[in-house]
Amino acid sequence: MKEKNVKKDIRSWLDERSGLSAVFRFLREKKIPQHKHSIWYYTGSAILLFFGIQVITGFMLVFYYNPTLEEANSSVARIMTEVPLGWIIRSVHSWSASFMIAFVFIHLLSIWITKGYRKPRELTWMSGVFLLVLSLLFGFTGYLLPWDDLSLSATKVGTDIPRSIPVVGVWVTKFLRGGEDVTGDTLTRFFGFHVCILPIFLLALLAVHVYLIQKQGMSLPLDLERKEEKVKELPFWPNFVYREMIVWLVLVGVLFTVSVFFPPSLDKAADLMAPAPEGIKPEWYFLFLFQMLKIFPAKILFMNGDTLAVLLILLGGTAFFFLPQIDNKPAERKGKMITVIAYLFIIYAVGMSVWSLL
Amino acid sequence: MTAKKKLIALFVLIVFLHSFVLFKINFAQQVEQEKTGTIQEEASEKIVPGPQGIKESTGLYVFIAWLWLAILVLVYVLRLKIKEEDRLLEMRFLSEKKK
Repeated sequence: MKEKNVKKDIRSWLDERSGLSAVFRFLREKKIPQHKHSIWYYTGSAILLFFGIQVITGFMLVFYYNPTLEEANSSVARIMTEVPLGWIIRSVHSWSASFMIAFVFIHLLSIWITKGYRKPRELTWMSGVFLLVLSLLFGFTGYLLPWDDLSLSATKVGTDIPRSIPVVGVWVTKFLRGGEDVTGDTLTRFFGFHVCILPIFLLALLAVHVYLIQKQGMSLPLDLERKEEKVKELPFWPNFVYREMIVWLVLVGVLFTVSVFFPPSLDKAADLMAPAPEGIKPEWYFLFLFQMLKIFPAKILFMNGDTLAVLLILLGGTAFFFLPQIDNKPAERKGKMITVIAYLFIIYAVGMSVWSLL
Repeated sequence: MTAKKKLIALFVLIVFLHSFVLFKINFAQQVEQEKTGTIQEEASEKIVPGPQGIKESTGLYVFIAWLWLAILVLVYVLRLKIKEEDRLLEMRFLSEKKK
């Protein structure tokens, strides 16, 4: 009886100061629509799961990693050979990054296809696209940190791409590299981005994104909304959370299994003076862009091929960001065309990535 | 189990356990023999992570097996919980409809 009172006192003390009971009440009352596309709702929480795993494993790695030219590669080697279970921690960190980016792509594409970005969820979509960009930047900055031949060459190629943008291109490349070329300064800069600047931006944007989702509620697929039928709803707590827990458990199992059986290797320390090794390839999520830049002719009419390719990528990215504004009549012919473009984009990205690997 | 079957089982067990020992010795010798200059150089350049030795690899496989077993049990329990919660939800829905 006494114990019950103590618990109650602590709870009311906390509630008076934090207002947490309102949050819990909101979660208890929150409803999730149930329909044939409900499976896509689970991708959002999967992204959060992998992000959480990355934060935890990232903290563990940062205790041993040294972001200097002399120590970067050897400190990663030490993590992999001397630190107990260090290679698994690194493998889980690397694989969870890949899984997270894969789920961000799946999440955005599912929203694109089901047209979940339509009014009033435009801002939710835009913050989601920003989160995709931040996730890709996480991957790009993290790729250099082991400081081996492959990561150095890939970063040289990657940071050279913005150079083709008219007016600001050279400045962007210099800003990314911390100078004219990729050096130890670039490594320190990328480390700073990876563990400090990007996490701050990502957490802030994630908070905005989650807030907007809670404010607007879960979106319904367009065809269901147009039918104006009553859709079956599931309480978020506990019915939906239990289902999410099953998805999380299976994903954690898959992540650990893949991490144990396919850990990433480490090459010898990068030599700034050495020529680039053959067969440089970026991470899988950049392959389609990499292949596009590779196959573009050097000169098209009066324009430089690289400049045109980079401008096309920027144009595509901008259109993707403003998709809710472009697709303002989703039920009409234009909206249907945009859905077809989504499918074509998937085929294009997968095709180019496979081509790049061949 | 008949005496013949017991004998076969014992023989299989001995062969199985023995093969571990033989495999370990042979493997170690092979590695020693194959270590030419270039291979040694490559090994020092590239680190391919993984369990060190049979003890660590067995430990890892056992861990993975336990992990999946735990996941399967938890999934089973969660499925039961989901069924129960869905049933309660249906009951609440029906009682509200009656009112």
